[in-house]
Amino acid sequence: MTCAERIGELVECARGRGSLGRELSAHLPGCAACAERFQAERELSQQLRTIQARGVALMAEDTRREVLMRDFADLHRRRPARPWVFAFGGATALFAAILVGNVAGRHAARHAPVPALRVKAPRTTQVVTYEASTDASELSSDDFTAVPYTPPLAPGELVRVVHADLYPEALASMGIDINPAWGDEIPTEVVVGEDGIPRAVRIIGPQGGTQSDDF
Amino acid sequence: MSALIPRSDEELYRLMKKGNQDAFAQLYARRVPALRRYALHTSGSPAIAEEVAHEVFLQLMSPNSRYDEAKGSLESFLYGIARNLVRVVRRQGPVEEAVDRAFEHDILGELISNEATAALHQTLRELPERYRDVVVLCDLEERSYEDVARLIGRPVGTVRSRLHRARALLSAKLKRLNAPVEVYSR
Ligand SMILES: [Zn+2]
Repeated sequence: MTCAERIGELVECARGRGSLGRELSAHLPGCAACAERFQAERELSQQLRTIQARGVALMAEDTRREVLMRDFADLHRRRPARPWVFAFGGATALFAAILVGNVAGRHAARHAPVPALRVKAPRTTQVVTYEASTDASELSSDDFTAVPYTPPLAPGELVRVVHADLYPEALASMGIDINPAWGDEIPTEVVVGEDGIPRAVRIIGPQGGTQSDDF
Repeated sequence: MSALIPRSDEELYRLMKKGNQDAFAQLYARRVPALRRYALHTSGSPAIAEEVAHEVFLQLMSPNSRYDEAKGSLESFLYGIARNLVRVVRRQGPVEEAVDRAFEHDILGELISNEATAALHQTLRELPERYRDVVVLCDLEERSYEDVARLIGRPVGTVRSRLHRARALLSAKLKRLNAPVEVYSR
């Protein structure tokens, strides 16, 4: 066996992976080159252990975990909403957070009929406060049309109004009667629950009559 | 009994994708500490290491995550992202300053005043990536050659020979660093 062939075993021994074999133990005292290499490898292992311990200590405190866990929870709470919103061209969509006020207790809410939404603040502002009502007929009172067959909003649930240009087919899928004279993209506001499901829609373009004709 | 069998990374990933936060937390606890240290040793900066590990998991939980179980282990995928992020950071340049500052001001600086150790760490960071990675994974993280071979997608023999080559380079550096001290001590 040559000295070059012994180096592999030398290195592994210096790394603490096994002990010197009989042949190598007998060789080292008589070979300065191998003895020097073995010593150098052992010193290197010692220094690497210092660096290793330092790395463990330096990175022991993880300040990011809580943030990431919160992000994960938020992502999955909102997640159904994102594909829906982006499906209608997210670039033009503006989000306004609106708060559905408590009308009935949370306990009763899960079993209540679809709550209506009544605008309290002027709709020219981006953030609008809504008040939930258990009277579903009020859903259409501010030009909003309730989307049929959707689960009820819980009082206190944070809902968003999404401004989006929708295709007539999308509106039709939400139960809105479509006028064939309307264009390909219809400006709308859609009320979206925390679960991402649209609850109500209102047309804000000339078709809906709530904006000027040059909209 | 089946509840006591630890879930694989890939099982946790599938649960995580369905929104299971416990699975995400388990995966995080299992893989992040080593990823943070890997990023520390390859970038030299604790701050960058935090960013890298955070970004790896942000990418993992993204709906657009590109992990494909058929192409390899999740751990290997995570290291791949971390390696790419470190590459990007290193290309941006100011890492070396961050490294030096980290060494001057890190919390163990007082305990490890050995200049040779600091210089060795710098040499480690300056090694070509193929050598640096195996030193970090095999020696600093004490992973087996088989593990590392799976992580980096290379044969076991390649991992072993790269490590031995890397150690020879580091030993030579250490020898040069130690030489002046010996002269002065005589
Ligand atoms: Zn020899």
